[in-house]
Amino acid sequence: MAPTLAPAVGRVPRGHGFARAFVRFAVLACLGTTMVPGGAAAQSYWIYVAAESEDEVALLRYDAGGDLTVEKTITTGWLLAEIEAPHGLAMDPGGEYWYLTLGHGFPNGRLVKYVTGADTVAGVADLGLFPATIAVPPHGTVALTVNANFHGDHIPSTVTIVDLETMFPLADVVTCTMPHGSRFNADGTRHYSACMMDNQLVEIDGATLAVTRRLDLVANEPAHAPMDGHMAMAPPDGHCSPTWTTPHPDGKRVFVPCNKGDAILEVDLEKWRVTRRIEAPGAPYNLDLTPDGTRLLATLKGSAQLGIWDVDSGELLHMIDSEMRVTHGVVATPDGRYAIVTVEGIGGDPGTVEVIEIKSGTRVASARIGKQAGGIALWKMEG
Amino acid sequence: MTTTRTIRLAALLGALAVPTTTQVTAQEVAEVEVARVEITPTTLTLQVGEKAQIAATAYDADGNVLDVPFLFFSRGGRGRLAVDRSTGAIEAFKGGNFEVMVRAMAPGASGGTVTVDVPYPPLDRVEISEEGGRFYVGVTVRHKAAVLDQADDVRDLVVTWSTSDESVATVDRYGVFQAHAPGAVTLSASAEGVVGQIRYEVADNPVTTMAVEASQARGRTGDVIRVTATPSNASGATVGDIPVTFGLIADPDAIATADFPPAEIDEQGRFVAYKPGVYTVTANVPGTTAHTTVEILERLVVEEVSLVSHAPVRNVSTSDLWVWEGVDGRDYAITGTHAAHGSAYWWDVTDPANPVLTDSLVVDARTTNDVKVSEDGEICVISREGASDRRNGIVIVDCTDPRNIEIISTFDDELTGGVHNLFIYDDHVYAVNNGIRFDVINIEDPANPHRVGRFELDTPGHAIHDIWIVDGIAYTSNWGDGVAVIDVGGGDKGGSPANPVLISRFRDIGGATHAAFPYKSPTGKFYIFMGDERGAPGFDGQDRARTPDFMSGYIHIVDFTDPENPEEVARYEIPEAGSHNMWIEDDRLYAAFYQGGLRVVDISGELKGNLYHQGREIAVYKAFDPDGVVANAPFTWGPQMHKGNLFFAEYFSGMWAVKLQPRRVLIP
Repeated sequence: MAPTLAPAVGRVPRGHGFARAFVRFAVLACLGTTMVPGGAAAQSYWIYVAAESEDEVALLRYDAGGDLTVEKTITTGWLLAEIEAPHGLAMDPGGEYWYLTLGHGFPNGRLVKYVTGADTVAGVADLGLFPATIAVPPHGTVALTVNANFHGDHIPSTVTIVDLETMFPLADVVTCTMPHGSRFNADGTRHYSACMMDNQLVEIDGATLAVTRRLDLVANEPAHAPMDGHMAMAPPDGHCSPTWTTPHPDGKRVFVPCNKGDAILEVDLEKWRVTRRIEAPGAPYNLDLTPDGTRLLATLKGSAQLGIWDVDSGELLHMIDSEMRVTHGVVATPDGRYAIVTVEGIGGDPGTVEVIEIKSGTRVASARIGKQAGGIALWKMEG
Repeated sequence: MTTTRTIRLAALLGALAVPTTTQVTAQEVAEVEVARVEITPTTLTLQVGEKAQIAATAYDADGNVLDVPFLFFSRGGRGRLAVDRSTGAIEAFKGGNFEVMVRAMAPGASGGTVTVDVPYPPLDRVEISEEGGRFYVGVTVRHKAAVLDQADDVRDLVVTWSTSDESVATVDRYGVFQAHAPGAVTLSASAEGVVGQIRYEVADNPVTTMAVEASQARGRTGDVIRVTATPSNASGATVGDIPVTFGLIADPDAIATADFPPAEIDEQGRFVAYKPGVYTVTANVPGTTAHTTVEILERLVVEEVSLVSHAPVRNVSTSDLWVWEGVDGRDYAITGTHAAHGSAYWWDVTDPANPVLTDSLVVDARTTNDVKVSEDGEICVISREGASDRRNGIVIVDCTDPRNIEIISTFDDELTGGVHNLFIYDDHVYAVNNGIRFDVINIEDPANPHRVGRFELDTPGHAIHDIWIVDGIAYTSNWGDGVAVIDVGGGDKGGSPANPVLISRFRDIGGATHAAFPYKSPTGKFYIFMGDERGAPGFDGQDRARTPDFMSGYIHIVDFTDPENPEEVARYEIPEAGSHNMWIEDDRLYAAFYQGGLRVVDISGELKGNLYHQGREIAVYKAFDPDGVVANAPFTWGPQMHKGNLFFAEYFSGMWAVKLQPRRVLIP
């Protein structure tokens, strides 16, 4: 059972999401300059993690310096006899709700809205084929979910826009083939996603919710349309196959991992070009940045590691082995102290959630959950 | 503990202290908070075809205008009121009352609602369900009417019925039309001044006699007895265009209070009884009634079930199974696993009472849901879901020697999202891509599988779950799209593995088709058994390790004898459980019904009604295993009859085999 919770850092009334996001950034920028990691007051971090091959979501709590504990397991899906693949997770900026994509449907997947803490279903929206990651802008009005369509057809897919109050799907915006890594920038004015099968970074305007720009990450030049049909092929090794996007809080750049290129690209948003390539051997998959923007975190799916880089210098600071194979998601805690990593496992392996202290690059806690731990969202930090 | 207020103060201080570039100043943070949204207009009336513009302005707490984007949409407007989501431009296409939601894409007051009233355009026409023509005195037929406006919108309006000459015919408020005397008469349906009309020529009822005949005078519960009525005129000629209605006078041997009806007869004269007794069928035309009486006996098909063996799998859940005679003449079975660790198991079941595990295989997957074996018994194919590299597809295995199985190859191109079900037919694997289509993979050289074709329905939102092939015809189960019958080489549509061609499709009532099994009955009928899959959602938070799932749904039985005009004629629905996979052989349906266990049903003869109530159940077996994944929880996944033994997969406990034998009657 979830305990009665004290007011949490960053929890502000609904509708104050933008302020909250900025607050988080500012607080952490402040903390980052004054607080010594390890010397901070005891904190608890609450995290939701999806177990894709178990149709479960686990709610975990990490007490700084202590244990990572599974507080609750939430079953999900329409048919208990079918695996429906919970994949992406996102929090409502006000903390009242959390959102989950279910990959398999009849045939389309769904976005499910849960009440935070009670973890009861508050609404459902139909999406496209195998929806994956979810982005909710700071104002919390809409969700943009990428329909990854992992079924293998090399055809352009979409981003579904859902009004979160009514859970009404407003539109399907065509982006490119096998989109992934749905993320808004800090102020919610721009949305980014990347397409694994045609090497594009796609920008959607946060106001018009229409595609504004595309960047071919291999040719490093603007693209003007999705590749289609046989043009969109799984890129050979050595190319990119981007699997994520993480806008920097300074609003000037986006980081994109090349899962098949063993690199993380920095895209300058003004120039709309790749301006830096950070080597990241081991098939980088998901990314996050510490809220102060100084540390870049990447799960390395192939080598089962978490990499931590200094953003300014591009220097690799730490490479931490995971306990199991197939690292998947990563999220930095709001105080920038920890990276919380999901590890899928293989076959019958349990899913694993690991807590890595960013400064020292050491694993400080881990816990087992259902099979194929993937999507992760940090609910709150308290204490 | 930190409060929101102090957080925000800290935030502002923090922002001022941040040395790196920030796009937003503390002052801007305060300004961007929306305090009020003004929307104009808040109510609007538009005629069909007209356009308008909704405007919204955001203000801060000091009354300053904020440059904030807005989002506009209408949930009920799809196809009726177009709303540009970013500009607020709207256009009316059909009448109605709509709400346009306006959302400020910024924190604070979120927006509001505009009420748009689009008056319905004038009515255009009223369409009556019948065409008119000849009608006989005394005959009664219900008519229906559709009211459409000038936007071709079907309107929900009260229709007033009338006839032009009530001495010839009358009509009631529900459109029930009855002729009283010869003559010409116009039937009118009107709504708000718009009238639809058809014309009848009413003639004297020529019927003077009627013969009625039952296809058999005595039968058993569940037998379909065809009652034929032949109305004739005075000269003995058959009157073929007068409607005959059937009725029943039932005298069942026993019936309980509020029991289900003991028998039924449809408009085509197909009679079936659920309870033994004596039934009189009446055939009626105005002024003439005839009847015939049939005697119905108990069906008496119950057989005993004896347990033959249990091949336990207790650490993971078991999925599908396949039983076959191997190339060495011995009998083998293969079982898959579900939400587990990617394993599949081979068993020697030559002695069905003593199954022996001969080999196993673990592939990179969580679920090996489907396992199938080629007709020659040499190739096994396993479906994969949950592969760690998301390249699922299928695994092709040499199972010539089930004691030493070996992977020959894998195939996952464009099947990366997972293969849930498959079928092997004539050196091709038909693999369902866990979504919207099946791919046809040539395995003539199993080391070099390659795709030769694929098939996908063209209906909106189509999906596919399973496939079964008999005589070159594929039967796919397509959830809401029902069953599709596809020529893959055995039909007359020119289909082939490389070019599957749709023959026919049938959507049952309910739209949850999960499995389909074709059956050519000795009666000459061709039936397709379409199984639902329905169940309680997983949102209730129950502990699966302690509580087995609860499934519902039933088997729809569709007469596909005329593939152009399929008809759902019967069902097998049990009250306590839902259907899963099935097998049909020699007039017997072997059906897995999850928590309802294994069911064996007599499907001999023509089928009609709910077989469950007709005494057609031959046997029920529920496999309880105290050491199962969930203890003592039957959850039957799929059956297969093989050489007189009925093998079936149990989700929580592995593979079981039972044998049916005639019921022994005690002689006092």
